[in-house]
Amino acid sequence: MTVLLLKLAGPLQAWGSSSRFARRGTEIAPTKSGVIGMLAAAKGIRRTEPLTDLLGLEFGVRLDQPGQILRDFQTARSLDGRHSAPLTYRFYLSDAIFLAAVQGDAALIHDLAGALKRPCYPLYLGRRSCPPAGPVSLGVEDIGLDDALKTWPWQATDRYRRGAPRIVQLEVIRDARPGDQDTETHPDEPVSFDPAHRQHTWRSVLRRHVPVTNDLAESSGVIDHDPLSLLGG
Amino acid sequence: MNRAIIDVYALQTVPPSNVNRDDTGSPKTAVYGGVRRARVSSQAWKRAMRLAFKDLLDRSQLGERTKRVGESLAERIKALDPTLTQEQASSLATEVFVAGGLVKADKKKPEAANVESGYLLFLSHRQLDNLAAAALEAARNGSPLDKNKFKALVKSDHSVDIAMFGRMVADMTDINVDAACQVAHAISVHGVDNEFDYFTAVDDRKQDVAESGAGMIGTIEFNSSTLFRYATVDVNALHETLGSAAATQAAVKAFLTAFARSMPTGKQNTFAHRTLPDAIIVRMRDTQPINLVGAFETPIRETEESGRIKLAAAALAEHTAAVENAYGEQPVASWVTRVGDQTSALADLGKAVTLDELVNEVGERISLTLGQPA
Repeated sequence: MTVLLLKLAGPLQAWGSSSRFARRGTEIAPTKSGVIGMLAAAKGIRRTEPLTDLLGLEFGVRLDQPGQILRDFQTARSLDGRHSAPLTYRFYLSDAIFLAAVQGDAALIHDLAGALKRPCYPLYLGRRSCPPAGPVSLGVEDIGLDDALKTWPWQATDRYRRGAPRIVQLEVIRDARPGDQDTETHPDEPVSFDPAHRQHTWRSVLRRHVPVTNDLAESSGVIDHDPLSLLGG
Repeated sequence: MNRAIIDVYALQTVPPSNVNRDDTGSPKTAVYGGVRRARVSSQAWKRAMRLAFKDLLDRSQLGERTKRVGESLAERIKALDPTLTQEQASSLATEVFVAGGLVKADKKKPEAANVESGYLLFLSHRQLDNLAAAALEAARNGSPLDKNKFKALVKSDHSVDIAMFGRMVADMTDINVDAACQVAHAISVHGVDNEFDYFTAVDDRKQDVAESGAGMIGTIEFNSSTLFRYATVDVNALHETLGSAAATQAAVKAFLTAFARSMPTGKQNTFAHRTLPDAIIVRMRDTQPINLVGAFETPIRETEESGRIKLAAAALAEHTAAVENAYGEQPVASWVTRVGDQTSALADLGKAVTLDELVNEVGERISLTLGQPA
């Protein structure tokens, strides 16, 4: 299978899966519907158009730098300033970096990679005010999704990596496959982005960790530090 | 398709201020590169830009975002036909929005004066004028306005601000307009710690009788920052919504001027933080928008030899070259408006111009691009 790899990084991102009304949340990692929506935007598929091929893509994401939750408070007023709309809370992930992988038919994947380089509509990380920092596409690999998320270099910033041990365990969240144990479900399988009747179904996901080598780990012996050894434990 | 994307980058220093605050009164912040930064939300700056549009564009090219749709439309109806009473105009206006399905008829008070929509409704002045004319015509012919006619009227004659910033109507999604611009939250290029200004206010009368002690005390939280600002305009999308190359050109020119000259008004009277950008870079691209905020992922640390602006300009110039070389993303054209020697690192990024020249040259380039055959 062929895999398209994406780096989702920027000061702010927001990946909601069940936001309603005045409280707009974010998940801790990019959602499948968010990323499929971004690919659809790149290809110029309008919200009201069928997603066809994109619905069959397999999706996984690695939490390279989890970031922090940010709560933003927003007011809105009419142009003359006389009238106020309800106060809203918007949640963002700040300072996060993710490696996302999308697997599918080779022709489609190459087509999507091309579309990301010349997107029809501007891309954003879950919310319009969150443009990605730098280009999103890392290119196409002819390996499986699991291997891609296991072997691709750690995308966290140098500063973050320097403070981490030699081997780090990164969380991976991917579409569950038949036979996978301990899966969980989220309302995050996109069916249609038509704003008149937006549709999502349930998506089974598998969470696990993959070990990744950190070539910037400081050789300060941090990983060897074991306070319990003093107790003979 | 002649793809045309306008990326706008700015470095702007603001003195001690509280431009955009959260519900506790603190200036907004965000963590980036592991360090807390000052932040001005995109919503705050977009509103400042929309207000600046009023001085840059004719009223007919702008819109009104209000819940008081009934009052707004009734005024226009009355202007078209001054023989109507206020009540008649209001009830005609109400009928329009009820027919459109955006407002429910109030059975208890059928002649309720001025209806309001349940949310801020963004309509262009031309759309409101068209609705007023249609309401009068319907009244004369005795054939009430229907939903399809309403939709047709609010889907044509979009104003520049609606095309640029978008319109979202939850009850009637097919009249939504996708925004042609994307504005990022402005963040500081360096780490900040918010500070508190402790103040006392003296009671004038007490002072006259030589009584000591303050009339009131309080604190205001603030910070000062050098902001990196980024926005991108999808010229093709704008063209599609506005329908004409001339309107598109005018819209982009107004956008660039407003981006450069506007400032959110939060605590303006307290801090007078009314600055202009130290540098503005506009890069016209034919592939994809590129946000260069990564230049400041490592926060700038001023030294004894060099202030923030100089280091920020150098970091931005270096990062721009690095990203564009790595991805083979050279802009089609580029302009730089900058102030003083501190920003000289940015000189190589594009043609040196004043803001007026920048706005005009980008505008000319756009009409050239849109005029080319696909």
